[in-house]
Amino acid sequence: MKTPTVLFFPDNVAVQVEPGTSLLTAASMAGIELKSNCGGGGTCGRCLVRVKDGRIRNISAGKIAAKARQAGLLLACQALVEGNVVVEIPRDSRLDEHVVLLGEKEILAEQDEELSGDYPFHPLCRQVQLTVSEPTLTGNASDLSRLETALRRELDCGKIHISLPLLRSLAEVLRRGDWKVTVTVAQLDGCADIVRLEPGHASQKSLGLAVDIGTTTVVLYLVDLLTGITLGKKGTYNKQARYGDDVISRIIHATERKGGLQDLHQAVINTVNQLISELFAQSQVSGEDVHMVLVAGNTTMTHLFLGLTPKYIRLEPYIPLVSAAPPVRAAELGLSVNPTAFVACFPSVASYVGGDIVSGTLLTNMAKSEKVTLFIDIGTNGEMVLGNRDWLVAAACSAGPAFEGGGITFGMRAMKGAIERVQIDPETFEVTVSTIGNMKPMGICGSGLIDCLAKLHEAGVIDRAGKLQTDIDTPRMRKGDDGFEFVLVFGDLTECGKDIVLTGSDIKNLLRAKGAIYAGIRCLLRAVQLEQEAIEKVIIAGGFGNFINIRDAVNIGLLPDLPAGKYSFIGNSSVKGARLALLSQEAYREAQNLGNSMTYLELSAGNEFMDEFVSALFLPHTDLSLFPTVAAKK
Amino acid sequence: MAFTPVKDKYRSKVGEVTLGATREQGGTRAYTITVGGEATLPFLHFEGEIPNRPVVALEVWDVAPADWNPCFEPFYGDVYNNPAAWAKKCVEEFGADLVVLRLRGADPDVKDASPEDCAKVVKDVLAAVGCPLVVLGCGKAEKDNQIMPAVAEAAAGENLLLGVAEQENYKSLTAACMVHKHNIIAQSPIDINICKQLNILITEMNLPPNRIVIDPTIAALGYGLEYGYSIMERARNGALGGDSMLAMPMIGNVGYEVWRVKEANASAAEYPGWGEQEARGILWEATTAMALLQAGMDIVVMRHPKAAGLIKQNIDELMVKTSYEG
Repeated sequence: MKTPTVLFFPDNVAVQVEPGTSLLTAASMAGIELKSNCGGGGTCGRCLVRVKDGRIRNISAGKIAAKARQAGLLLACQALVEGNVVVEIPRDSRLDEHVVLLGEKEILAEQDEELSGDYPFHPLCRQVQLTVSEPTLTGNASDLSRLETALRRELDCGKIHISLPLLRSLAEVLRRGDWKVTVTVAQLDGCADIVRLEPGHASQKSLGLAVDIGTTTVVLYLVDLLTGITLGKKGTYNKQARYGDDVISRIIHATERKGGLQDLHQAVINTVNQLISELFAQSQVSGEDVHMVLVAGNTTMTHLFLGLTPKYIRLEPYIPLVSAAPPVRAAELGLSVNPTAFVACFPSVASYVGGDIVSGTLLTNMAKSEKVTLFIDIGTNGEMVLGNRDWLVAAACSAGPAFEGGGITFGMRAMKGAIERVQIDPETFEVTVSTIGNMKPMGICGSGLIDCLAKLHEAGVIDRAGKLQTDIDTPRMRKGDDGFEFVLVFGDLTECGKDIVLTGSDIKNLLRAKGAIYAGIRCLLRAVQLEQEAIEKVIIAGGFGNFINIRDAVNIGLLPDLPAGKYSFIGNSSVKGARLALLSQEAYREAQNLGNSMTYLELSAGNEFMDEFVSALFLPHTDLSLFPTVAAKK
Repeated sequence: MAFTPVKDKYRSKVGEVTLGATREQGGTRAYTITVGGEATLPFLHFEGEIPNRPVVALEVWDVAPADWNPCFEPFYGDVYNNPAAWAKKCVEEFGADLVVLRLRGADPDVKDASPEDCAKVVKDVLAAVGCPLVVLGCGKAEKDNQIMPAVAEAAAGENLLLGVAEQENYKSLTAACMVHKHNIIAQSPIDINICKQLNILITEMNLPPNRIVIDPTIAALGYGLEYGYSIMERARNGALGGDSMLAMPMIGNVGYEVWRVKEANASAAEYPGWGEQEARGILWEATTAMALLQAGMDIVVMRHPKAAGLIKQNIDELMVKTSYEG
């Protein structure tokens, strides 16, 4: 039988696939990423495509909305290729170019200088121009010895390493440059590694990559290690998304499917490589010049990036294979940069507090500050660190992906067309929304969802328990398939033509997510016996939107009721911390220490978290004394 | 050496709720009843003030209860079809401090009594007795939302205790209590957080906290009594610790819960080892109530007159001031 061809429209891309391949996989092979929150399980109803021509076999109808079925759509993950197929992909099903937080967009001004000012510019890679003493019959030390001697005069370093390929070239390089040589040295953990040798004293490029591997998104910064300038930034979805939305489903895929670990490892390497090639094209640099890659990811992501099994992270007592992984060479991972480049990962604190948090904590500089600081990264998990230069405690609470759009009927990640701000008139219940990119609304992202909860309550659409007030007089309140729902935007104004609604169960999900994060904060405070007033600074990080409305977040009880002046929002702290460590050996060393110096608080031990969590399932909280300004407003 | 009792200090105390209104106060009651006000854990007189004794209510239905144990016949049989006479008997003959009128007949599956019928029964009972009155709906939210506003209006000025408000259905009853100045029972399903949330929701509609009585939901001995007990303990500790949204007196339907269980109803013929049924049922009800008094219950709603008598006696004994000093 001939290998079937699948042709995708409107992209006009064809791929050849084995019979029995799902359209979801075929699309991925064609470089088209479809929305698939359930990882191809047929349950999220998002990978909708239309088969224009050809033969497919449906495993099952899957969970698909009646309207979509009537419109001739089917789930790509449930449709297997039998022969040549022509498929149309509606815009709604596509994973749009993602507005990943790259910085510079937050409402609260960024304070990079203040945040990282304590570290000297002392990059992980240095370039030195050496003049090596010429050998003579009496001065007959070897080429390498003479290079080492010259290098030690310039650099304060312990052991000097050189790789075999470079060693093979050394004799000729020295002589070709007439004993003048430009050496690029990577310095990790006190050793000096020669990563590049060029004859003569011509300045070479030396670049580094700061990489944030999130469960949902991957972000890269390209940094010039000689000048400290950031040459480019790129972000995209983690290609692992098709194997599931959260770390648990990824771990399950990695450990229970044949070749699953390899799937996930390759997916994230491909994601990084794709971003690398885009960045290089944009900045007109070559991968040969990249000598250092620093990766910050949560513990599971770090494992998958290195191809290590995350199996025991999921099983009690939740033990990672490694917390501080040794640096490896790019060639070992197949990254498209200089094969001898070092790839180092930030150490993790525990199975659910990873290198991304260590990186963020480094960036906040809280470990050097006298001020008691609370750092919260609102991602697929809510991770938080509390402390100052004398002590640090960290915890992770499974807030779930609600603020990233998961588990919400019209939730979406912070992409173009996502509703990010909402206004509701308390008299008429009319809703005004604004979206990212000012496009027709497609769904609601995290910052929009925070806004929604606060504004729905203010307008009296929901009560403090999050219950929809079904007696209000507006056509926006109506009975839907899943009970009552509130229409934010009617279909004539949306991208997909469907009404964008918030259902009662969406609101319950949001309450649970915000309750979990606040409960985590309370548990941390209680573990160190501090009142929330003792927090002098709150630093929020995360990719749930382009900004966070602190007032709304306090009003719904997501964040503690503290003066707005104590808050700052730093966006993607993970990649920024990695950039900082690329540019300062002191920062890199500090990150290694941070991994060891944080005390991890396991919230699943004991009942305290559960008690706090249940008390927080209210707007803002059942203990109003914790929210004095919200109580006063009433 | 003299014994010095260890005394705990509490930040706050339970709020007081007054039920009923005399003529001067705009009602027709012969007396009012105030519950709550405890400044310490139950009956620790040496530690803090307990200004009001817990009260005992008896249960009256607006229809003859088809499924009550025959042992109630001798007491209520003659008045089963006359709620007013039934209430009178409870107060005058059996010594109830107050009466709980359950409008069971409003249930569409029972008699589907109209709001007007319900209001009339309430008026009749009010005319027959001088004690403050508690009125409960039929338990079906939709119907209760029709009858309770009518009851509240018909009995305006009487300062009734009306129930029940639940998290999923509190607005209409709260509004009725607001407009016609009654008190409300806030019922939560053995859940301290919902208990508190509901109190917040009700007070947010501007019904003051001193008009709310908590029904924490209790169970009979052997059927999860300890769950209700521990929720009541937590609520009371919260109240004393300064949590104003838990600082309300508590009511419990002891008779209703106990007389549903096998241990109260099964005949001696069926379980010879268990002893005589009625005595057993009375003790089951009284034991359940005694335990709940120790958890802080302020209004104990009983069913069997003899069990009610035992509890009144128990309360008398518990209200004797204990003093370890001098």
